Amino acid sequence: MAVKNIVVSLAGAPASLVTAKYAIYLAKILQAKLTAVYVVNEKILQELFKSRIFVEVEVRVYERDLEEQGRLFLERVKKMAANKTVECEGVLLRGTVHTEVVNKARELCADILVMGELKEMLSRKEIFYDEGERIFREATCPVIVVKNPAEVERLYKELI
Amino acid sequence: MKISAFLQKESCVLDLQSSTKEEAIIEIINQLVRAGKVLDKHRLVNDIMVREKLGSTGIGHKIAIPHSPTEGVEGFVIGFGRCAAGIDFNSIDADKVNLIFLMATNPAELNIYLKLLAKLSKLLNEESFRDELIAARSTDEIINIFQKYE
Repeated sequence: MAVKNIVVSLAGAPASLVTAKYAIYLAKILQAKLTAVYVVNEKILQELFKSRIFVEVEVRVYERDLEEQGRLFLERVKKMAANKTVECEGVLLRGTVHTEVVNKARELCADILVMGELKEMLSRKEIFYDEGERIFREATCPVIVVKNPAEVERLYKELI
Repeated sequence: MKISAFLQKESCVLDLQSSTKEEAIIEIINQLVRAGKVLDKHRLVNDIMVREKLGSTGIGHKIAIPHSPTEGVEGFVIGFGRCAAGIDFNSIDADKVNLIFLMATNPAELNIYLKLLAKLSKLLNEESFRDELIAARSTDEIINIFQKYE
């Protein structure tokens, strides 16, 4: 089976750049199309609003700021991919992170979903609710969890 | 991601001397400055106070969580203050506040900040967690309580 579509889930944190680099590496060597997905985490904003930590106007400001950060991050990843002559589309979504990522991967008939390293978990409850864990569990295609940033950096640099 | 990885005993004040919301916020920020956690104190104070004007961060159960993204800090910082007498924070339940968690983040770290705020909110829903923080006799105990519940 040829790998044609790779989807990478990006959170926008510095560690996400490592994830993006490995996804670009994979897309290059497999000659696949890459789709970078960033989700504005509306669920967490609504939780903070319901718990009265945020006021309504604050939620709107955070939504706008997160969206802007996501847009800038996706632009950066697209430029990185272009530098390695990899076709890459950026997709900015809003909602619950795991739901949006899994649905987008399904919609695009992704052959591989690439995601960042899972966090160290302390309790079953934490494992159950963590967005990364849920992407990993609920994805309907094979999932690659990126580890070893130094090795990823080496592979990425070796790409022409 | 643990709050206890960011909360240090040097960032905690067990006996706030302040009698108003504004004084309490500045007292905790001064502690963060002494702990070397702040790049620009005036900016941090200003951003926290601007957020307070949008609506009180006194969320009930004698708790307040003043917070804001700000260029006044690098990364994420949390400070803790406790006041046995209570401070009027214009809380939603009108009760005075005994426990204050001041959280600030550089705007570049918004996602981490939101996750830690949500995590603190969940921890504070547990009555035993709140009671233990009230009863703690040292800043070491405060840190241990966080580690126990996280």
